[in-house]
Amino acid sequence: MMGKPIYITGTGIVSAIGNDKQHTLQSLLRSESGIAPIRYLNTEHNEFPVGEVKLSNSEMRAILGIDEQKPLTRTSLLGAIAIKQAIKEALLDDRQLNSAGLISGTTVGGMDTTELYYHDIISDNSKNSYINIHDCGATTELSADMVGRFAFVTTLSTACSSAANAIIAAADMIRSGEADIVIAGGAECLTKYHLNGFNTLMILDKEPCRPFDANRAGLNLGEGAAYVVLESAESVNRRSITPLAILKGYANACDAYHQTASSACGDGAYLAMKNALSDGETRVSDIDYINAHGTGTPNNDESETAAMKRLFGDNMPEVSSTKSSTGHTTSASGAIETVICVLAINNNFTPVNVNWKNRMENGIIPVQDIKPIKPIKNVLCNSFAFGGNDSSLLISKYN
Amino acid sequence: MKEVYIVSAEQISIQQPLVDDWMSTPVSYGTSYIRSLDPSFKDFITPIEGRRMGKILKRAMATSITALKHAGIEKPDAIITGTGLGCIENTEKFLGSMCNDGENLLAPTSFMQSTHNTISSLIAIHTHNNGYNATYSHRGISFESALYDAWTQMQLDKITSALVGSHDEVTPTVYSLAEKIGVNGKICGEASVSMVLSTSDRCRQSAMCRLAGIKIMYRPSHQQISDALKKVLSDAGKRMTDIDAVVLGVNGNADNDIHYHNNRDIFENIPLIQYKHLFGDCFSASALGVYVAATCINKEVIPEHLFINNRDKKYIRPKSIIIFNQSDGKNYSIILLESLCGE
Amino acid sequence: MENLKIELKNKIIEVLNLEDMTPEDIDDNAPLFGDGLGLDSIDALELIVLMEKNYGIKLRDAAEGKKIFQSIEVMADYISKNRTK
Repeated sequence: MMGKPIYITGTGIVSAIGNDKQHTLQSLLRSESGIAPIRYLNTEHNEFPVGEVKLSNSEMRAILGIDEQKPLTRTSLLGAIAIKQAIKEALLDDRQLNSAGLISGTTVGGMDTTELYYHDIISDNSKNSYINIHDCGATTELSADMVGRFAFVTTLSTACSSAANAIIAAADMIRSGEADIVIAGGAECLTKYHLNGFNTLMILDKEPCRPFDANRAGLNLGEGAAYVVLESAESVNRRSITPLAILKGYANACDAYHQTASSACGDGAYLAMKNALSDGETRVSDIDYINAHGTGTPNNDESETAAMKRLFGDNMPEVSSTKSSTGHTTSASGAIETVICVLAINNNFTPVNVNWKNRMENGIIPVQDIKPIKPIKNVLCNSFAFGGNDSSLLISKYN
Repeated sequence: MKEVYIVSAEQISIQQPLVDDWMSTPVSYGTSYIRSLDPSFKDFITPIEGRRMGKILKRAMATSITALKHAGIEKPDAIITGTGLGCIENTEKFLGSMCNDGENLLAPTSFMQSTHNTISSLIAIHTHNNGYNATYSHRGISFESALYDAWTQMQLDKITSALVGSHDEVTPTVYSLAEKIGVNGKICGEASVSMVLSTSDRCRQSAMCRLAGIKIMYRPSHQQISDALKKVLSDAGKRMTDIDAVVLGVNGNADNDIHYHNNRDIFENIPLIQYKHLFGDCFSASALGVYVAATCINKEVIPEHLFINNRDKKYIRPKSIIIFNQSDGKNYSIILLESLCGE
Repeated sequence: MENLKIELKNKIIEVLNLEDMTPEDIDDNAPLFGDGLGLDSIDALELIVLMEKNYGIKLRDAAEGKKIFQSIEVMADYISKNRTK
C-alpha cells in the first residue's frame, strides 16, 4: 500500500551535539560526541554520563525573549527553540502558521519542575502555578504559545517513539487532506525522575555507551528537541518552496511482547521497517543507510540487529546509531534522528557510530567512516520504545 | 468520505460500570470527589497479570476486553489511547519515594508502570496485537486526539477497525492539587472508556451509530468555532435543523462553563444536554460525553435528566447528536454522531 | 534458616504484589522464574532492590541476580552467608 509523499520543508534541532542545524552538522562531520558528566541536572547520580543540551534554562529564555518569572518547563523551552528554527527554515509566515497543526511528542512533560518544587507543591501555595503545567499536553501548549498561533495542537506520548509517531500522525493528516502544513517532532529534557527510573531498570551505562558493540552495557540518557515542517505537494507548489527531503513512507507496529523488553527476533521492529518500505514503495536494496534506534542496551541492539537481518538479509545497508553522540533523547529521539537523516542525505555522509570497537556475535559492523559507500538517497530512521511501540520513517532525497 | 461506525462503547466511571443503568437509575452523590465504581476485575485478568496493574490499567483492560467482545472483533487494526495524566498513581509513588527518601533503592515497577503508553501496550500484549499502537496525552482533548487519529487512518483506508479509548484516574493528590488552583468541576470523577470503531459493512448491522465528523481546534475565535461546526455538518450532508441535541461539557465550575455559554448561540435552538452532573469531570470525561451520545442514539432515547433546557423535547428519538467539548478555553472539539436506523 | 525463609516469602509476596498468596503456597525448592511461580525480568529487578534494602546485599546486575533467585532455598542460603544487615 502506498501513500502520497510528504515534503519536509523546515527543520529545527537542539541536542547535546549542537543548538542548531549548522552546529549539529559540524559535530556529525567531526564524529564528535556530546556525552559528558552531568552539568545542569541536580541529581545524586553523577556517575552516569549524559547528553545534555549545553544551555541553561535562563539562556534559553534569553534566546526566546521570555522573562524569568513566567512558569515554564525545560522541555517547553527546548521545544520552542526547535519549532522556531523549523518554521524559520520553512519560511512560514503568520497566516500559514495560523492554519498549520502542531503535533509534539513528549513523555516527561513538566516533570522537571514538578520534581524540583515537589515539597512546595504538596505543602503550600508558593508553587501553584506549576501544578497545571505538569502534564504532557501543557508542555506542548507552552511551546506552541511561545512560537505563535496554530490551528490544531496535540501531544503524543509513546516514550522513545513519541516524536516518530508525532511525525507519522502529522503525515497522515496531510495525506488525508485534513491539513496542508503540520509541524511535528518532539521534546524532552533530562529529569531526575527518568534518570532514576532507567537506573532502577539497570540499563544505564556508567561509561559512554557503545551501540552494537559486543561489550555494550547500557544507554546514556540525553535531552533535546527537534521538529520538521511537513507539507503536501500542493502547499509546496503554492508556496514555491524547495523541500529539504521527502518523507516517502512510514509505519507503526507493536512488538506486543513485554513492557520493557523487546522480543528476541524483534517482531515489532521488523514489521515497522518492512511496512515503512512498502508504504514508500521502496525495496530493501534501495536503502542506503539506517539510523538505528541503537541505544546500547544488550536487549535493544540484539533485537534490532535480528530484525534488520531478517528484513535486509544480504542487502544490509550501512547502519549506525547516533545515540553515542547525542545520548538517548527518549521522546525527542525520533525527530532528532530524522533531522540527522536529512543532514546526512543533503550533505552525503553517513553519521559514525561513535565508541564502537567489537563486533557482536552475528552482529553488524556499524558505520566507522563518514564517507558513504554509495550516495545516500533513501534512509530508514528507527525508533523503538518501551511497551513495544515501534516506528520507522523512510526519508528520501529531494531532487 | 468513508463511513465509520462506533460498534461498541463501554465505560467504568462513577456510574455503574459496563452497563447503561445511568440512563434509567443514575447513581447520585452528595460529595464532590468520587472514585469509580469498579467491576470484579478477576473476570478480565488473571492474578499474575493483574498484580502489577493499578486501577487505571485494570479498568482499561476491562473496558477494552468488553468492548472488543461486544463488537465481535478480536484483533483491531489499531489500538489508540488517550490519557491526560497517564498512570498518575504510579507516577506519584515513584516521585514520592524519590523526593522523600532519596535517589536510591527505588522500585522499578512503579516507574515502568507510570509511562503513559503502558495502557495501550498492555492491551496489545494481552490481545497479541502487532498493529498500530499510539497514546495521546493532551489534557481534556486526549480522547478526541485518539479518535481523530483513528478517523484519519480510516479515511485513508489504512485500517478498518480500531480500539479507541481514554482513561484517567484521580488520586486524592490530583484532586487536592486541582482544588488548590480551583479547576475542579462540581463533581470530580474518573473515567475509563473504550470504543470499537469499524468501517466494515459486517459491523454496520450491529453498530451503535456512525461517527460522521470530528474537528479539533486550538485557540479558535468564536467565528472559527461557528465555521468549523458548519463545515462538520456540511461534510456530513447535514444542516443545523437536522441536529437533535448538543452534548456540552459543562461541569458547574464557572471558569469552565463560561466557554460553553460564550458559544451557545452557535447551536441556535437545539436542545442542550449535559453528562458531567452524572459522571463528574476529569481529563478523559469527553469520552464519556461521546459514549452517552452514542448510547442515546443506539437506544433511541435521551433520558430527561440529561437535558439542560428544552425538556419538552425529551420524547425525541435522537438521530443526530453533536458533542461539543472544550479544555481550558484553548482546545475545542466538535464531534457528530448519526443514527443508522431507517437506512 | 526456617524463619528467614518464611520472612523472605512474605517480603516477596508483598514486594511483587502476589495477592491471594501465602508463604505456604510457595515451595522452598520450586523455580521462581519461568515455570513455577512465573516471575519475570521486572520481578528480578524488584528482588535486587529487596536484597539491598533488607539484607544489605548489593548485586552487580540482573545476570548475577538470576543465579541467586533460582528458588527460596538458594536465596535464603545466599542471604544467610552474605547479609550485612
